[in-house]
Amino acid sequence: MILESDLLVIGGGLAGLVAGTIATESGASTILLRKGQSATAFSSGAIDIIGYLPDAAESISDPLEGLTAIAGLYPLHPYGVVGYGDDVAPEEVVDAIIGRVRDTVVWLKNHLQGTIASVMGDFNTNIYPITILGTTKPTCLVQETMNPGDVNKHEESVLLFAGITGYPDFNPSAAAKTYLEDRMALGQPPHKIGHCMTQLMPFRKCFNISSIEIARHLDHAGSIETLAKQLEPHVKQIGATHVAIPPVLGFRHALKNKRELEKSIGAEVFELLGFPPSIPGLRLQRALEEVYTKAGGKMLVGHEATSYTKTGQKIKTVVARSPRREISIDTKAVVLATGKYIGGGIAGDEKGLRETVFDIMTVTADYHSAKDILPSKATNRLEISPMGQQLQWCGLSIDPQFRPIREDGLEWADNVFAAGAVLAGYNYSVEKSGLGVALTSGYSAAKSAIKCIKGGGEN
Amino acid sequence: MTDSEFDVVVIGGGSTGTAVARDCAIRGLKTLLLERDDIASATVGTCAGMISSGLKYSDEPDIMAMCSKEVMHFNHIARHIIMKNPILAPLLDLSDAASDSSYVDSYSAHAEEREVPSMLFLTPEASREIEPMLNPDIIASVYYEEFFIDPFRLCMLQTLDAIKHGATVRTYCEVIGFDISNNNDIQGVVFYNRVTGTTEKINTKLVINATGPWAHKVAKLSGENLDIRLNKGAHVILDRRVVNVGITVKAIDGRWIYLFPHENTTLLGTTALDTWEDPDSLVASFDEIEYLLQSIQTVLPSIREARIIRTMAGIRPLVPEWKRPEGKVTRGYRIIDHSENGGVKGLISFTGGKLVMCRHMAEAATDLVCKKLGNTAACMTHKQALPGNDADVDVSALSKEYGIALHALERMRARRGTEMLKVLELTKEYPEWKTTICTCEPVIEAEIRYAIREEFPQTLNDLRRRLRLGTGPCQGTFCTFKAAAILSDELDLGGDDFLVDILDFRAERWKGIRQSMRGEQLAQEELTLGMYTCVANLDQSDVDYDIKPWEEGS
Repeated sequence: MILESDLLVIGGGLAGLVAGTIATESGASTILLRKGQSATAFSSGAIDIIGYLPDAAESISDPLEGLTAIAGLYPLHPYGVVGYGDDVAPEEVVDAIIGRVRDTVVWLKNHLQGTIASVMGDFNTNIYPITILGTTKPTCLVQETMNPGDVNKHEESVLLFAGITGYPDFNPSAAAKTYLEDRMALGQPPHKIGHCMTQLMPFRKCFNISSIEIARHLDHAGSIETLAKQLEPHVKQIGATHVAIPPVLGFRHALKNKRELEKSIGAEVFELLGFPPSIPGLRLQRALEEVYTKAGGKMLVGHEATSYTKTGQKIKTVVARSPRREISIDTKAVVLATGKYIGGGIAGDEKGLRETVFDIMTVTADYHSAKDILPSKATNRLEISPMGQQLQWCGLSIDPQFRPIREDGLEWADNVFAAGAVLAGYNYSVEKSGLGVALTSGYSAAKSAIKCIKGGGEN
Repeated sequence: MTDSEFDVVVIGGGSTGTAVARDCAIRGLKTLLLERDDIASATVGTCAGMISSGLKYSDEPDIMAMCSKEVMHFNHIARHIIMKNPILAPLLDLSDAASDSSYVDSYSAHAEEREVPSMLFLTPEASREIEPMLNPDIIASVYYEEFFIDPFRLCMLQTLDAIKHGATVRTYCEVIGFDISNNNDIQGVVFYNRVTGTTEKINTKLVINATGPWAHKVAKLSGENLDIRLNKGAHVILDRRVVNVGITVKAIDGRWIYLFPHENTTLLGTTALDTWEDPDSLVASFDEIEYLLQSIQTVLPSIREARIIRTMAGIRPLVPEWKRPEGKVTRGYRIIDHSENGGVKGLISFTGGKLVMCRHMAEAATDLVCKKLGNTAACMTHKQALPGNDADVDVSALSKEYGIALHALERMRARRGTEMLKVLELTKEYPEWKTTICTCEPVIEAEIRYAIREEFPQTLNDLRRRLRLGTGPCQGTFCTFKAAAILSDELDLGGDDFLVDILDFRAERWKGIRQSMRGEQLAQEELTLGMYTCVANLDQSDVDYDIKPWEEGS
């Protein structure tokens, strides 16, 4: 089978879906290939922009401050690259970066409005939501179901952590102790913290209950009342003003469920940031897919890009394979948003690191070729530290149009643009910048691709 | 006698130390076992668990005979934690078969005693039928069988049995000195309690130094010199049982190496390097990993397609025979009575030995102790069963009765034998404890709670040794935080301790993961970092975390 499109997006996580949506909205016909589940679906569902600079001990209170620092210190960071387009004057670099990231945040908020993953928060300030371990992290946008309200500001607030018996991913007692010690050390509210268990028994099971089962259960009419009844006595007992629950409020009706719960128990309810399998991550993934397909984009799920033809400096055709068929896609431009190791965009063995679709040169944190780097050599003695793992910095080096470059510093192709975790130059887990970089790079790569498609006749 | 007066203090909670403590306690001696870390936390925890027939030691017929007897003793006292692995030694050319072929006869001489067939030669076709991954160019293979034991459980069961017979066991207590009288007689032991941060002292008549690669350092605390040859061995661990049977092969330098299915994983080992490194910061090197892969590749060409999850490295405390390769050093053991050469009285040290001999070593040392103390009790350790060995367990029936997956129960049986019934009993009151916490192994919550209550773990790493928690392909990615919360609940820990437990466990896993990071494990690690660093923000946590020995330096 042969298909034709203006733009081919390879990769169906946040970066690819944003790129695809932007392109489709600009009138370009777009096909998106998604091999399997994206890393976005495994995420906590919060949109981090920038929380820390690499190796820094203090968090960044707002993205503005973080982006300004990145512009000065890390010009090759995917955020930094935005400031070095041909149309940006040297004194406007910082403004260009901030402006672009701000645009993308506004764009995303608007597009997620009314979906199952509508978000709150804004570009001007970082927020510090609570995780299922009782720790906090800086992020920029959270889904509305995850809005902790004024729990850590209001002097009189009383927070109740509520768990579900037989669901092992969240232990309210451990989380409550961690959060309480943290807040007491800071001398800040809430002034009281408690914890309780509820018996939900989705599908009559009392053990081995997964987040997905609970979320499906709560999407059924009537289930939320059971939870409310369970919570009510505990809320009353400690006079809770806020209730923190694991991120399982439902797929389709999470926000409605939150409001119903709040009405029944008379306290604010919010989901904590959690680990995979992550319901908010899945909600975000589904919402973005809906946004993309509603805009008119075509999506081929379960298809993997396996080969390509390149004429001169241009990719002409990409072959995609699924278990049952092989499709040849003629395209004018490609956005490569295949992710890093989870997504499968970068692979590594004892010979070195390689980009998996086009075999484009990979680089290290220092922008040396990572082609021959033994993965274990690009690691640190400490697994979990602000220094992070060098491996997480590795990926593709790009020009200001987000085109991957080769050993000689020239573009690998004139019509291939890269976005998201496949890029080098940032470490999302220590920076807390993952979906933010995916968003900005996806948006930027798409803008460059559109320009390339429209000017296509010239080359 | 009070709680600070003992007949004998055993230092070291490895296979030998726990065996000695058990023997002494059964013979009625007032016994204290001191371990600086946790039971089975060093050398024994890095071995393949083979209780060897002594095949590699055909030059030492006495040792082969002893090994064979000991294997049968273990089959008698601890059959629930024993597995039998068939093994193929594929031969690629005639020189493989011709060299040191005496082992065929010496192995077969003791085969009947162990209830295994004599060594067989198989055709390439028959070999490949058993293990299809074998190189088609092999000319034949040798078939034999060896027994394997769970080394962590063996040490734990020996410890629990010692406690049952009245021994006192103190983990996280590091010996820092001896109280020696004017006539050079040890009267007491001084140790540092690493949990409370206090120094304690007890009195004892005798001290057994069963500290493996630390033996010379502990002896030195009494002013004694102890010669020992330390030799490093490393393993590469694969994510599942990639072979149907064990494979042994001559490595690129002519030594024998092996690939053994082990629990839910496969072990590829070992290397042998004389070492002067600190056992606490020891890790496998890139060269060792490649040496093992290159060597096994000759008979299993597709081995690099397998997913490597981690490495582990340990130190053999060999008898000090120098100027010969590691393989030619005796596999026997020595018991050094330091008083014999005019040294300190009351100190007895071990060098050498193998896992299979630990009970035998304990018997010999305890005989000496008893002689010195005038105790005439006979050794019973080869006759009295270890906890859980009482009867067969019908796991299918239990699976139906409790509604727990058969696989989970089979794994629990392999750790606990009949003792698993006590774990399952807990689920009657708390059915939610049937929840699987470690999905790789798997381990259910009830067993974690039971182990915390009955097997004195202080940390998540201690729980790992008791339960194999976090030892599978995900290396604790999905169970670290869940198990930490249960530990925190049972021990009533504070929030900071909960996070420290998570960080400690991740650090210990990373020690082994890091060295062999490649392939699928890159995605696994990105996921782990995504969870513990990106979402939980633990890289920025201000808890009181102690840097581990292998994390020091740049």
